[in-house]
Amino acid sequence: MPKVQFIDPKEVRKAGEVTFKPIPVNQYNKSVEEEKANFSNEDLVRIYHDMVVIREFETMLNDIKTKGEYNGIAYNHPGPAHLSIGQEAAAVGMAYTLGVEDFIFGSHRSHGEILAKGLSAIHKLTDEQLTEVMENHFDGKTFAPVKANFKGTTKELAVRFLIYGTLAEIFARETGFNRGLGGSMHAFFTPFGVYPNNAIVGGSGDIAVGAALFKKVNRKDGIVVANIGDASMACGPVWEGLSFATMDQFNQLWEGDMKGGLPLIINIMNNQYGMGGQTCGETMGYQVAARIGAGLNDDQLHAERVDGYNPLAVIDAYRRKRKILDEKRGPVLLDILTYRFSGHSPSDASSYRSKEEIEAWQAVDSIIWFGQELEKAGVAGADELKKIQSDTTDLISWGLKLSTNDEVSPLMDMEKYPELIGEMMFSDESVDSMEPERTPEVNHPMAENPRVKQLVKKERFAFDDQGKPFSKIKQYGLRDGLFEAIVDRFYKDPTLIAYGEENRDWGGAFAVYRGLTEALPYHRLFNSPIAEASIVGTAIGYAMCGGRVIPEIMYCDFLGRSGDEVFNQLPKWQAMSGNVIKMPVVLRVSVGSKYGAQHSQDWTALAAHIPGLKVVFPATPYDAKGLMNTALQGTDPVIFFESQRIYDIGEQFHEGGVPEGYYEIPFGDPDVKREGSDVTILSIGATLYRALEAADQLQDKYAMSAEVIDARSLVPFNYEPVIESLKKTGRLVITGDASARGSFMKEMASTITELAFDELDAPPVVVGSRNWITPAYELEEHFFPQADWIIDAIHEKIVPIKGHVVSNNFTTTELLRRNKNGI
Amino acid sequence: MASPVIMPRQGQSVETCIIGQWYKAVGEQVKVGDILFSYETDKASFEEEAKEDGELLAIFYEEGDEVPVLVNVAVLGKAGESVDEFRPGSVSREEVSEEPEAEEQQATKELSVEPEVIIANEAGEGRLRISPRAKVMAEKLGVSVSKVKGTGPQGRIIARDIEQAAAALPQMTRLAQEKAATEKLVAGEAETGIGGRIAAENLVEYQSVYGDDFEVKKLSNMRKLIAKSMHQSLQNSAQLTHHMSADARRIMALRKQLKAKLEAGELNQNITINDLVCYAVIQALKKFPQVNTHFLGDSMRWFKKVHLGLAVDTDRGLMVPAIRQADDLSLEGLSSQLAAVAAQCRKGNVNPELLKPEAASFTVSNLGNYGVEMFTPVINLPQTAILGVCTIVPRPKDLGDGVYGFVPMMGLSLTYDHQALDGGEATLFLREVKDQIENLTI
Repeated sequence: MPKVQFIDPKEVRKAGEVTFKPIPVNQYNKSVEEEKANFSNEDLVRIYHDMVVIREFETMLNDIKTKGEYNGIAYNHPGPAHLSIGQEAAAVGMAYTLGVEDFIFGSHRSHGEILAKGLSAIHKLTDEQLTEVMENHFDGKTFAPVKANFKGTTKELAVRFLIYGTLAEIFARETGFNRGLGGSMHAFFTPFGVYPNNAIVGGSGDIAVGAALFKKVNRKDGIVVANIGDASMACGPVWEGLSFATMDQFNQLWEGDMKGGLPLIINIMNNQYGMGGQTCGETMGYQVAARIGAGLNDDQLHAERVDGYNPLAVIDAYRRKRKILDEKRGPVLLDILTYRFSGHSPSDASSYRSKEEIEAWQAVDSIIWFGQELEKAGVAGADELKKIQSDTTDLISWGLKLSTNDEVSPLMDMEKYPELIGEMMFSDESVDSMEPERTPEVNHPMAENPRVKQLVKKERFAFDDQGKPFSKIKQYGLRDGLFEAIVDRFYKDPTLIAYGEENRDWGGAFAVYRGLTEALPYHRLFNSPIAEASIVGTAIGYAMCGGRVIPEIMYCDFLGRSGDEVFNQLPKWQAMSGNVIKMPVVLRVSVGSKYGAQHSQDWTALAAHIPGLKVVFPATPYDAKGLMNTALQGTDPVIFFESQRIYDIGEQFHEGGVPEGYYEIPFGDPDVKREGSDVTILSIGATLYRALEAADQLQDKYAMSAEVIDARSLVPFNYEPVIESLKKTGRLVITGDASARGSFMKEMASTITELAFDELDAPPVVVGSRNWITPAYELEEHFFPQADWIIDAIHEKIVPIKGHVVSNNFTTTELLRRNKNGI
Repeated sequence: MASPVIMPRQGQSVETCIIGQWYKAVGEQVKVGDILFSYETDKASFEEEAKEDGELLAIFYEEGDEVPVLVNVAVLGKAGESVDEFRPGSVSREEVSEEPEAEEQQATKELSVEPEVIIANEAGEGRLRISPRAKVMAEKLGVSVSKVKGTGPQGRIIARDIEQAAAALPQMTRLAQEKAATEKLVAGEAETGIGGRIAAENLVEYQSVYGDDFEVKKLSNMRKLIAKSMHQSLQNSAQLTHHMSADARRIMALRKQLKAKLEAGELNQNITINDLVCYAVIQALKKFPQVNTHFLGDSMRWFKKVHLGLAVDTDRGLMVPAIRQADDLSLEGLSSQLAAVAAQCRKGNVNPELLKPEAASFTVSNLGNYGVEMFTPVINLPQTAILGVCTIVPRPKDLGDGVYGFVPMMGLSLTYDHQALDGGEATLFLREVKDQIENLTI
């Protein structure tokens, strides 16, 4: 809510009506003859050629899936093959005008789009550029089998490279475009502008928006095309992506050359089915998918429906829409009507549609029709077209043979290198700036920033010389530690942007960003719609293209709103790309309290469970700044947990207070916050302070010396310091604010038992929150672990403490009962 | 039926033997008479033969293990037969079987005054509740967990219980405590006693002057035994030594004759000067039965026969095997037996019974070969006396008519226990030995 925008009751309360412009449907009506002025014969034949290549490629896949052989070559492909036979004109038309710098994102049914965009890029790149691309990709590993004994032109070689790299990827070969780690549904090749395809329906709906954001914010050439299906228009994240992409602020608040819409085309590959569900007439209500544009912004997304069975109609649409994007009037929505003859997958019996329907569409098969048109217009003779057909059969046969030859196209050798995939889960790089040659755009020198100036006066250690705490207001708090790390990176890395709900004028819901608004132009720090899927999804797309980004989702409880993005997208793409893609995304997640069941949950376990995410949870200003610096220096996705209980807490541990300069705290190292000898308390997050309270009581009342270790990181985590502590104490309590069942505390307990069984004098005991809803603030002490819970648990399960009277039930009988009842 | 192979008992005094080497491995077929393993006592080594055919089913002790005698060390039998019934309790249990009773009582006594509420070990079915840490700790500290009361949750034995039980155990073995007190020793670095306690052998003399400019080497069992008996000898008797010389011309002439005979093949045995001296001593002992005795404090053993001990120097240390009823032997027989027993000593397979000090009634120790001119041998208690034989040196002697010439004289040093013999008796006996040597007839 920027102050410059005045909401005038007089205005908004006025009577009136919302009107819509007509949405064009299949308006293109030119013949090949008429288009001859716009296309050379060669271009027209190439359009035909590209469609034939796609058709043959997918026919081959269909054959080996259904018959186990193609053209006499036997092969068993156990993986997926979601084919788009029948949709070739839409794919080729989409890709025809795109330059190499234009990016496409796709779906599970995107072989055709990969090939179309790849062939388009090959046509546009010079021989030198092509050779460089092929030689450099995985140091020529994909190229080597292709170029062996080949004697044709570089372009022909590049076509073979495209066919081979895609096929080898589909067949999980190490020589594939992504080392075989992506496969059919995720194959891509960024040097040709082909960005990840996505096996989650609508997965690209927000990621592509982030890619367009990257292009805009970093002034990169090119546009972004999100190829998503007609059925994906029902998905929440797609809507969120569209909402994000159509924010008014691009036109109303972003300044200078940043003013204007995203260079984005939402390209609905409308084959009229979502698996077996008919989107028109059964599962959706839009009738014409292009109608959606009318609901999103005043421009109606410049939406129109285009006949996707005529490649020239699609090309025409792209030429027109490109102009709109160049004028910064994006985004655009295209509803490319098409139809697939093939089933959803080879196992599809087409029980949901009639034979007549399929035959009717086959009768207007775009390849046959376009071939006839070419002949009619005298662009190509029947023989020439036939030769294209037979050459393509040869090409595909060659590709199949080569990509299934275990000698030249081996699978990853997981026996010899069992950790190959493990090593690709993280990129683990240390990078100051994603684009060091550019100067970051800021509004003033950092020293002039009001928050920076204010921090100079703060006490960077919580206590004075006498050990007396400074007043809260004087203390440099945890939020200040976060701010310092983040502002520092904004002045280092020009690609860094941050956004989320209330991030700009408000300064973040918890005032971490206070002062950033003054320092940064709009396009580097802005408010997003309340749409967590789009906040995280766009960040993924932004990072994929080479930017660094801090999305923030305010409350941890909203992680569920971005579930697919956090669980399926963010953690996967580095490894699924064979480490081609980096993912420098630091997702800030704040764990609440006081606000009840939907605003108080610690979901660290959910994040830690998913391979491919780094997870940290600092509890002190020193750790918060050091870990944030490390997160922002890295190239991996980090889920950065914070706790609303302690944003204002001062530094109580690090001698000399929080350093003013830059420092990093390596991920994975837990930190001993207090040394002790009788029992070890390992805490996660803000529970640290209750663990310390328990340690105080143990010492004062029972002369028991507790060692308190702050986990700080969850993934990665180095267990060695904990085991060292256990060697001393033999006793362990693990505590945190997450509900105990299935928590990361339980994971730690299990791992520690495996690692240090002989050191244990009792099982590691987990003291987490109850497996309930979080009650109101007034009742929270009955839900979240308290100091006395920790002592009771020690007394009951680890070592009876003389004279201690318990107030909480930690008996085994109670544990059994709770589990039996599922609470 | 499988049958056990036991560690043989080698003489009454041997309690444990050390396994030297296994010649057969588990799973090998063994025939009667095959050597199964070698073992050694303090003083000698032996080989144990299989007493029956069969497969070696199990070996319970490894090379270097110290095994009490009569304990099963292996099992012979048919493949597949169970060996568990023969498996001995651990060595440590054997050794501590007397002590721990008392110790554990002490330990539990201390524990029972613990103010904690002690919940009985509730695991039931005879199973012990004990934490992994406590279990490891118990093994390390030598605490027997079966009688430790657990003070953890559900009566689980936890680390503090073991620590307390261990604290109640003596830190030195009883022998070590006694030895440390009497011999003014301190604990060394090693702790080889049960449960890491300091055993007697770990005690060392603290030498602050030398700092660490020395290496502490453990004594061999044999050295320890010798040390002990020599020390006891000097402490428990009233020893003194008389020296005398005997004209060796006769004995040297005899030796020359016997050597010539040996070379001529008339004699099978190489009779040495020492043999001749021993022969002469036996003759003298027959005339002085009060020297051929054991002194027992309030009584004495007067031997009817002469059992002659001969000190033999070996790589392992000094050994004193006895020749039983040596007075029945001819010179040749004596010589042959002395040679045989000395060889056995050097080889290490002498019958340990013959090595006991009680086995001999009198001992001869001959250092003549080493050029010793005079020494004070130490009595092998409970024997009454020992004769040291020294080297032959030319000494001036009245050859008659006031003519003095250099005559080869053999030094004789008789140490005797003044408790048993008076100086006069001892002198007369020594004189008799001298006369026998000077006038030896064969």
